[in-house]
Amino acid sequence: MSHTSIPLPERQRLRQKLIKKHNLANILTHWFNVASWLLLLPTGIAIISSPRLGITPIWWQEAFRNLFGSDANLIRFHYTIGFIWIFVILFNVFIGFRKYFVPFAAHRMLLDNDDIEWMKTKPLQMMGFIKDKPLPPQDAYNAGQKVYSYFVVICTLGIMVSGPVMVFKNLFPPIVKQIAQPIHFISVFVIVAWLFIHVYMGAVFPEEKEAFFSMFSGKVSAWYARAHHEKWYNEKLKEEMEWEDQVEAEVQKSQQLADEHGGPD
Amino acid sequence: MSTKNHYAFVIDVARCIDCRACLVACSVENKVPMNHTRIWVHDQGVQGEWPDLSHTFVPYNCMHCDNPPCTEVCVSGATYKDAVTGLVLVDQEACIGCGYCVEACPYGARYIDQRRGVVDKCTACVQRLEVGLQPACVATCVGKARMFGDLNDPTSEASVAIQNATSVTRLDYEKDGTDTDPNIFYLNLPTTGSILSSDTFNQVPNATLPRDSRYTIAEEGWKKVAIPVLAAAMGATFLVQAFFFTKQLVAGEKEFEE
Repeated sequence: MSHTSIPLPERQRLRQKLIKKHNLANILTHWFNVASWLLLLPTGIAIISSPRLGITPIWWQEAFRNLFGSDANLIRFHYTIGFIWIFVILFNVFIGFRKYFVPFAAHRMLLDNDDIEWMKTKPLQMMGFIKDKPLPPQDAYNAGQKVYSYFVVICTLGIMVSGPVMVFKNLFPPIVKQIAQPIHFISVFVIVAWLFIHVYMGAVFPEEKEAFFSMFSGKVSAWYARAHHEKWYNEKLKEEMEWEDQVEAEVQKSQQLADEHGGPD
Repeated sequence: MSTKNHYAFVIDVARCIDCRACLVACSVENKVPMNHTRIWVHDQGVQGEWPDLSHTFVPYNCMHCDNPPCTEVCVSGATYKDAVTGLVLVDQEACIGCGYCVEACPYGARYIDQRRGVVDKCTACVQRLEVGLQPACVATCVGKARMFGDLNDPTSEASVAIQNATSVTRLDYEKDGTDTDPNIFYLNLPTTGSILSSDTFNQVPNATLPRDSRYTIAEEGWKKVAIPVLAAAMGATFLVQAFFFTKQLVAGEKEFEE
């Protein structure tokens, strides 16, 4: 890999230098989403008690029904939290639509040639082949994260549409409610399938440790950014240099003005 | 499933005159919408050849089966077999009215109340049972065709009627591993002509019950496609992360070289 050739002091400097990756709005939305899922997933699983589907163990169903007092109360709790979740997520998306969502959708989600190359190389490397082949440089989110984001966006919409259909039960014909249930289930568990990877990579995998802490502080070290998100890191460097140039120019300009007018008084 | 009480209807079809007072009493007692009913009377039509003619009416409602196929499909457990009374009931606060159970019931004893968006059915008037009254249909039946009682109690009206009967028939539905064991016991149901039993009901042109249990496309797709595919996907991703996690634990944490 490219960074092995960097001298030690430079590496230490890069480790100490912090770059902002996530803003506060995204961090709060992320942890709100986590809290909602922690409440919604166990209660949602507990609701599915059909013996023919045979998903949820009886003790789980009984535990949650006893906790909430009844079947109906369990369902009420689930959809109340669900509506709060829908409201907050949509509110955040629309409030930050131009500032965060459009740039995210336009620049962070699109797959480019490097991403395609990454997707060809990475799975083979995970299986133990072509270890020496370098991975193409990645943007702020790598190709795996980008693909995950498509599933999350589509499945979140699936959940947000199919959930209220089942709550406002007198507004929809039976056929719609019949289909809404498996859609709700599929949307949730497609995300859950990815979630194992997401949680492991984000919180446990040693190379990505900084990603976990950045979800609290919003910052990653320049070292990590350079190693894992090189394209984004270069972009950031360019921005930083442009900013420095701009400050330089402004300082020079004000000095010029000060000289012309005989200095500040 | 054995329950504390074993409530059952006993219907003497020889006494039914198709007056349908039970339908009216039921609808009034339970505020059933005008376009629906929880009770039906099946008209068998004129049977036999002159001069040996007969005309039988078969009243029916929810059979409160011992093994109800409707509770098997209910996703949220809104419809259930009560552990005390043995009645099959719907918790309409939990029910979303999707109608999986309406399709699965081989007796067609359920309907969707679209105004409220819930499934509704015979409850054997639990509100009356609790205060010691008979269900409305039983109390109103002019010919005493309908009887109701606890079969666990040998002195109840229903138990006594079954003990004294010359012929007792149940419209049992046994197919594909389902055996409903219904709890409406018909007395004097003619066993010739358009007999309503599990082996012949499909050949009878105007038989309405029992029919085959139906499973909706959504429910079938969920059970047969979505669950296996998602279980495989989750299993795969879980195993991948478990593999790397184990590898990480075996390798141990690497310290920075500085």
